Amino acid sequence: CWEDREGRKQMSKNNAKGLTTLRQKLKKYNRDFESDIATYRENPDEGEEEEAVDSEEEKSDEEAREDFTKMKAAKEESRPSKKVTYDDDDDDDDDIDWEMSSDSSSSESDGGEGPGTTVYTAAMFLKKQPGEEKKEKKEKKEKRVKKKREEDEGGEWEEVTKGAPMIKEAPKMFAKDTEVNHEAVIKKLNEIISARGKKGTDRNEQIALLKELQSISNANNLGPAISMKIMFHIISAIYDYNPNIATCMRSEMWEKCLAGVSELLDMVEANPDINIGENILEESENVTTPPYRVRGCVLTIVERMDEEFTKMLQACDAHSTEYVDRLKDEKEVCVILDRLQTYLVPRGTTEEICRVYLRRIEHMYYKFDPEAYDNPKLENKSFKDMEEMCKFIYAKDLTDRLRTRSMLCQIYHQALHDRWYQARDLMLMSHLQDTIQHSDVPTQILYNRTMVQLGLCAFRKGNIRDAHNALVDIQSGGRAKELLAQGLLLQRQHERTPEQEKIEKRRLLPYHMHINLELLECVYLVSAMLIEVPYMAAHEMDARRRMISKNFHHVMRMSERQALTGPPESMREHVVAASKAMKTGNWKECKNYIINEKMNAKVWELFYKSETVQEMVTSKIQEESLRTYLFTYSSVYDSLSLETLAEMFEIDQGVVHSIISKMIINEELMASLDEPTHTVVMHRTEPTRLQSLALQLSEKVSSLVDNNERIMELKQGNLFFQKSGGMQDRQDRFQGNYQQNRNQNWQDRRNQRQNYSQRERAY
Amino acid sequence: MAEFDLTTRMGQYLDRHLVFPLLEFLSVKELYDEKEMLKGKLDLLSNTNMVDFAMDVHKNLYPDQDVPNSLKGKRQDVVAQLKSLQAETELITKIFEDPEVVRQMQSSRDGRQLYEFLNKEHGFEASMVDTLYTYAKFQYECGNYSGAAEYLYFVRVLLPSTDSHFLDAMWGKLASEILMQNWETALDDLQKLKDIIDSNPFGSALQNLQQRTWLIHWSLFVFFNHPKGRDLIIDMFIYQPLYLNAIQTTCSHILRYLTTAVITNKSRRRTVMKDLVKVIQQESYKYKDPITEFVECLYVNFDFDGAQQKLRECEEVLVNDFFLVACLDDFIENARLLIFETFCRIHECISINMLAEKLNMTEEDAERWIVNLIRNARLDAKIDSKLGHVVMGAQAVSPYQQVIEKTKGLAFRSQMLAMNIEKKLGIKTGDLPQWGQE
Repeated sequence: CWEDREGRKQMSKNNAKGLTTLRQKLKKYNRDFESDIATYRENPDEGEEEEAVDSEEEKSDEEAREDFTKMKAAKEESRPSKKVTYDDDDDDDDDIDWEMSSDSSSSESDGGEGPGTTVYTAAMFLKKQPGEEKKEKKEKKEKRVKKKREEDEGGEWEEVTKGAPMIKEAPKMFAKDTEVNHEAVIKKLNEIISARGKKGTDRNEQIALLKELQSISNANNLGPAISMKIMFHIISAIYDYNPNIATCMRSEMWEKCLAGVSELLDMVEANPDINIGENILEESENVTTPPYRVRGCVLTIVERMDEEFTKMLQACDAHSTEYVDRLKDEKEVCVILDRLQTYLVPRGTTEEICRVYLRRIEHMYYKFDPEAYDNPKLENKSFKDMEEMCKFIYAKDLTDRLRTRSMLCQIYHQALHDRWYQARDLMLMSHLQDTIQHSDVPTQILYNRTMVQLGLCAFRKGNIRDAHNALVDIQSGGRAKELLAQGLLLQRQHERTPEQEKIEKRRLLPYHMHINLELLECVYLVSAMLIEVPYMAAHEMDARRRMISKNFHHVMRMSERQALTGPPESMREHVVAASKAMKTGNWKECKNYIINEKMNAKVWELFYKSETVQEMVTSKIQEESLRTYLFTYSSVYDSLSLETLAEMFEIDQGVVHSIISKMIINEELMASLDEPTHTVVMHRTEPTRLQSLALQLSEKVSSLVDNNERIMELKQGNLFFQKSGGMQDRQDRFQGNYQQNRNQNWQDRRNQRQNYSQRERAY
Repeated sequence: MAEFDLTTRMGQYLDRHLVFPLLEFLSVKELYDEKEMLKGKLDLLSNTNMVDFAMDVHKNLYPDQDVPNSLKGKRQDVVAQLKSLQAETELITKIFEDPEVVRQMQSSRDGRQLYEFLNKEHGFEASMVDTLYTYAKFQYECGNYSGAAEYLYFVRVLLPSTDSHFLDAMWGKLASEILMQNWETALDDLQKLKDIIDSNPFGSALQNLQQRTWLIHWSLFVFFNHPKGRDLIIDMFIYQPLYLNAIQTTCSHILRYLTTAVITNKSRRRTVMKDLVKVIQQESYKYKDPITEFVECLYVNFDFDGAQQKLRECEEVLVNDFFLVACLDDFIENARLLIFETFCRIHECISINMLAEKLNMTEEDAERWIVNLIRNARLDAKIDSKLGHVVMGAQAVSPYQQVIEKTKGLAFRSQMLAMNIEKKLGIKTGDLPQWGQE
């Protein structure tokens, strides 16, 4: 139609111009496919098929055209890139390239199903090419054919083009009389592979083809090496099947992949004499005679498989049976990793071994083994494996990342099994706290998880303060879910871009690895309660007390703001109610709030051997309640009998003695023990309210004087600076700035001072 | 008491020759089967050249057997070797016997300078240092420590610090000094060795750690025998993080010695104890013995009954420990004092009766002890002899006093401030143009 000058002349100026640019762009684009186009030109083998559908096609001609324009519209909407230019109108320029355009648009066709929104383009289309119906028809037909084929295969819409005819013939594979030997098979293989990644390759077909080829080569006894080589290609073809890295493969594909990988491992194990390597060049491969050399890397393939597995799990709904089905494959994956390890350890490089070890560790570290828990002395298999592999990585790994990850996994594993000291020491020795913010995000997530697990372990072991410290960072921002990569949080301030969201989604952990967030929060709040309540009681009068746990205070304040508080329902409400009970030293009520059926079901049952944890919590509550009681009510008593206290809090008298002794030594409690009568005698030095205010005032005044002196010092520094003659130059340069700063500082100080005086007045 | 014996744990970080005193000590205490001890000794001796000693042990072990020929053969070998080495080093020893050389040696500090001097005057060569080193090593193997120490001294002076034998020579010298019980020089050597290790000549952290662990173990000999040792051990083990780390990672049993040293150190106990308790608590899952448990009872749990119980056990442990046996009395006395001090801080009124029991004394002794304490003004208390109580003096500070304390200096300080400001104002008026420049 380019030759059709008249037609062109008839076009509006704009259209003509558009057509010209289009033609040029098309030519440019086609350059990449020149050979394909040429081959097609020689062999336009779709003639017959066209005839067959022709009549039918004509009927739906009108409709088809409309369809097409719709597609165009869809295209224009979705892809404003330069591709748009050719798939619009290229069919009227050249009778070969239409195919491509049609294909690319057909791939998009499901998106453009909405009824004719684009009348304008349709009209334009018509105007431009009154005599082109035929071609369009053809194209439409072609599309149909392919559509049909694709639908048969149940595949999603993909670009299908020139590869198709060749593949159609494929089942024949070799002509009858050709001798099937290595060269022929390799030639064929290369032929198939060369289509890989091209626009028009049907990936499904490719897999089938490769399989066929493999069975042919096996049938002809061409040796294991070639079969292995083909296997490598089959697996990579399976991986190629899904072009989008963000989404996972379909489950049939996944099963195929799993089977393929384990078959490959079978082969590899059965033929230990085959030399497999990534670095073996295509040319130096030797598949005909032993010693065989095959290019490929089992490790990479298995690693990829593992990643795909994670993706599959991410894509499933965690509460569906589908997820469970998928999860069953976990075992298979582990077995494959195991086999890979046994294969690689004697022959792989240390780097490779480290990688496969890390994969195994990452499949192991989060799994709880009750047997290992029950017999801490007994050498347990999972521990031994873990230790061995980790030690190997610590010693041999060169990249810091693997070491960090394996270390975190080991800590996690130990913490999970209540090996608190080992986990703690390893964490402290690793010095990861200082460097973790420089590492990549998945490792940081792992670090967060490890810290949480460490905190939970400390809690189970009764080290409340450690538990609190480990959990405070995760819990304080209220973003635990995000920090542990267990779900996305709605962000109030700024929306994520879709890109970002995609990335974050890809990081999410599969559900079976999650740490229960409610458990985490509960443990955190309970440990905060056990620390904070006695502290608040002890420093009631202290104006400058600091908050140990902001989160805890926040929760408390929220509940106080409520006009009416009903009986506690949620876990948080339980802890709040318990804290209130503890404030008055009522340990029984406190305990009943923390440990009851509701809380057991929600939280405590999640621990293995929850009874011991509950006992621990109870005894801690007793002790801390005793402390709180003493702090709060010591001013009321003159002396207290240890026996009464022991009875009140149902603790052993020795423990009461030791708690009180500790408080006396730390000067928290102004009292002393009277040994012959077993009583605590208060020293009555708890100041009265007036006295304590007087003390505070005196403190304030002295800090005021301190401040004044400091200001004075600064001023004097300034004077000194001005006087020193040698610094004159620099001084000139800096003085402007410097003075300004000084003045500002001074202003600040003055403000501060005003604040102080105001506060003093308030007192 | 064999369960608290650390010899096996310590042995792996000590030189063969250094283990002998430990074994000797153990056989005196008769903790283990005599036969096994002797066998152990024989094993130990098999790799040294102390053949005569080995023969003795063999005789003790198997009185009815003859000394095996292998030992006799070895003896001859050793003697022959000794002779040949002696011949080789004769020249060198002659050089060092020359009074001129001795004088030069004492005057010149620099090894290189000395070497040049020797080279010029006596034709001394580099290879001779090596010969001297082998000879010294041989002497050491034979148990002639004084000779070894002497030669190693020369070797150390003459070798450059980068030489591979330099560090070995240092270790050898230290071992010889320890075995000769020259604590003064041993302490010097220890210090030198420590400086070298701290300068990190190996590069790898693991090796550094190993060297430190060895040094820690060897230093015990010195620290528990040198009069200043108990101060130094605290300085080195607690306040040098590198050594504390080494103890925590590789040899937590050293905590026993550290704790003993802290408890028996009167002057610094108070300040150090807090840090020590922290370490003990951290390591409590790894290492525990009555001595550390005593501290834990006293300072963590305030369990006085437990502490007193542990104190009794401590006694036995100390008696059976090679390093600590000397400071037994000191330890017991100080431990009692510790218990009592802590007790007094908590209590207002104590019955002497109970105190005596807690301190592991008779009642009369206890009373005398307390009276002594009060008389020496170390305790603000009175004894109520009718009831048999000790009543502590009041220690509380009234809030009035606190307020007064706090506000005491304020008026003066403010006045000074005001004066300063006035002074400065005077200067400022003079300087004003400069201020106004910008």
